[in-house]
Amino acid sequence: MLNKTNAVRDRSKNMRVLFILSAALILIIVAATAIGAVYVPFGDTVRIILKNYGILKAPSVDDSQESIIFFVRFPRVLVAVLVGAALAASGCVMQGMFRNPMADPGIIGVSGGASLGAVTAIALGLTSGSVYVMPVFATAGALAAAWLIFLLASKGGKIPVLTLILSGIAVSTFLGAVTSLILTRVNEYQLREYLFWSVGSLSARRWEHVNLAAVPVALCVIILISFSRDLNILLLGEEEAQSVGLNPFAARKRLLFFTSVTTAMAVCVSGNISFVGLIVPHIMRLIVGPDNRILMPASALAGAVFLVGCDLAARVVFMPVEIGVGIVTSLVGAPYFLYLLNKARKEGAAL
Amino acid sequence: MTQNSDIALAVQGLRYEINGVPILKGIDLTVHKGEFVGLIGPNGAGKTTLLKCINGICRAQGRIEVKGEDIQSLSDKQVAREIALMHQNTEISYPFLSIDIVLMGRYPHLKRMQGEGKEDLRIARESMAYTDTTVFENKAITQISGGERQRVLFAKVLAQQADILLLDEPTASLDITHQEQIFKYSRELQRTGKTVIAAVHDLKIASRYCSRLVLMKEGAVISDGSPWEVFTPENIHRAYGVKALVFQNALTGLMDFYISDREQSGNKEKVHIIGGGGSASGVIRYLFEKGYRLSAGVFSHGDSDLMCAQVFGADYIAAEPFCDISDSAVEANIQKIREADITILCSMPFGSQNLRNLEAAEYAQKLVIIEDDPPETRDFTGGKALELYGALRERAVVITSARLHEFI
Repeated sequence: MLNKTNAVRDRSKNMRVLFILSAALILIIVAATAIGAVYVPFGDTVRIILKNYGILKAPSVDDSQESIIFFVRFPRVLVAVLVGAALAASGCVMQGMFRNPMADPGIIGVSGGASLGAVTAIALGLTSGSVYVMPVFATAGALAAAWLIFLLASKGGKIPVLTLILSGIAVSTFLGAVTSLILTRVNEYQLREYLFWSVGSLSARRWEHVNLAAVPVALCVIILISFSRDLNILLLGEEEAQSVGLNPFAARKRLLFFTSVTTAMAVCVSGNISFVGLIVPHIMRLIVGPDNRILMPASALAGAVFLVGCDLAARVVFMPVEIGVGIVTSLVGAPYFLYLLNKARKEGAAL
Repeated sequence: MTQNSDIALAVQGLRYEINGVPILKGIDLTVHKGEFVGLIGPNGAGKTTLLKCINGICRAQGRIEVKGEDIQSLSDKQVAREIALMHQNTEISYPFLSIDIVLMGRYPHLKRMQGEGKEDLRIARESMAYTDTTVFENKAITQISGGERQRVLFAKVLAQQADILLLDEPTASLDITHQEQIFKYSRELQRTGKTVIAAVHDLKIASRYCSRLVLMKEGAVISDGSPWEVFTPENIHRAYGVKALVFQNALTGLMDFYISDREQSGNKEKVHIIGGGGSASGVIRYLFEKGYRLSAGVFSHGDSDLMCAQVFGADYIAAEPFCDISDSAVEANIQKIREADITILCSMPFGSQNLRNLEAAEYAQKLVIIEDDPPETRDFTGGKALELYGALRERAVVITSARLHEFI
């Protein structure tokens, strides 16, 4: 009976982690929306947001505050939420699927493919037509690159991890070269447009970006979470997977597809913000353990909290100068990650 | 079909190759319900590959039927509900709780979005109780020992509730306390109607637990039948390329093997061995390995020396126990001693029943006496034997058994 209570306690501990992360996410969304060059009290911030969704009847709020909150900061925060969740969930899947702690969405060439797609759209002069052209090109490029790497690495119903990583590196390098080649042929305005997109950043992200990414990211993250049991079984190895009736090849193919889409959508609205997909799942694994049924949602939530927090820091620490969010993710994430790593090593826990 | 309803698994013309190198060269195998089949054979015979093909992790050419249904027509989950495979490598590097590992065995019974229910938890707990791992339920799989981990993984296989269990080298890398555990469970399960197919390295364990053995070599089946049918010296030589003696171990009553690297005898001397009470066994074995033609006697029935002579094919003379040796036996013994180039008198106890063995030794062409203990401590005839022994000693080479190799 002692065992039973332990098991229950273990599960309730996990639920508590998810609850705390959800609460933290809501809190940091409000904080990041409220804090900035113009400070709006938390209460007013919440009221403005709710009012714009028609939940709250129009109270007296300052018009200028309303536009800052609802049309500048809030969409940017939501983009951070989506990107953070997408990258962390994808990273979690990649690390589990390849049983390799160094795997992150970058290794399947998604970033490289997305960049090439974007620069193609720019070079062809299509981007002025619609705000959605570049994301579509970027997603197409990302999926094409992932597909190519997958084809190169899979052989006889298997995907050897090392081959996948190496072909990923080769294809990414190749795509990078093609991207650079195209960039030497474009004019200065187009070059700036590309740079603005490619340097991982959340500045000036608007509702268009939210609308673009919200549905696919939310859907993909939910789908990925629904695969968490498959991912658990893949962690035991291909043979174990087959023996309980999970075809490891088919499972990886599915997972790779949804991870590619998820990452592509994130890259598309924010450019390359690396490190989130690598360290957030690691940190969460040290806290909640290897079970993906809890690790995946926890990673998604934590990724969102982490990126919103980092973006907030990027905006306010050196105010009025804004620094790249990627700088903050690295400055904050790396030392914390090392601290956890060291602590885990002292306790003798395996990563 | 009604006749075949007790066939659990039928494999026909199974071929599998890796990069053009054939691993399985047309395997035919029909396994009935409730059989415990041991796959044996040297490393690289294709035992593990055969199990993996049956399980579906390796896609082979040929036909595999489970309970009369072609495995190709079944989904992966359907196959997993019928066949469960326990792997050789039980290493898991992620700290899942043991209960969660066992619950993974329920995967083929669950739909995609369906969580594990009370029934699944009950089955998992029952499986853990069966393998005596309940106490590890909430321990991380990475924090328990190899034997415990294997039992947890066996519980996972049980939780799958498949009728056919495939076990790949379940004794690999385990110490003797755990080596046979999985086999004991398997035999119990076999009696409840499950079918077990296990790739086994240890021939003794295979002969002890399996109801049927399939001997493989280089991707083909070379023998199939009961342990005594399969484990003939000829088959073992064919499969493993060694000379082996197969016998029933007198102490355990179980099948046992002796792998010899006997020198080619050519025309080596004939040696006769006089012993009894276990004193001759080591000598017989040693001389057998050296390639001598052996005779021995007179041993009484039930003496371990006699069994030893049987195993090593010595031409022996036997007598009823607890009686004086009969005249005919003495004559036969003397005959053998005369024929032998060398006669060895082992460090045996002397009693009134075997006094006549001592007398017979006088006819030896060349006599070697092995004296490990002083003869006085071995005499139970009140000095009679010592007299004879003393006379023999005069004309014999006297050595300890440790120095036998110097004289032979």
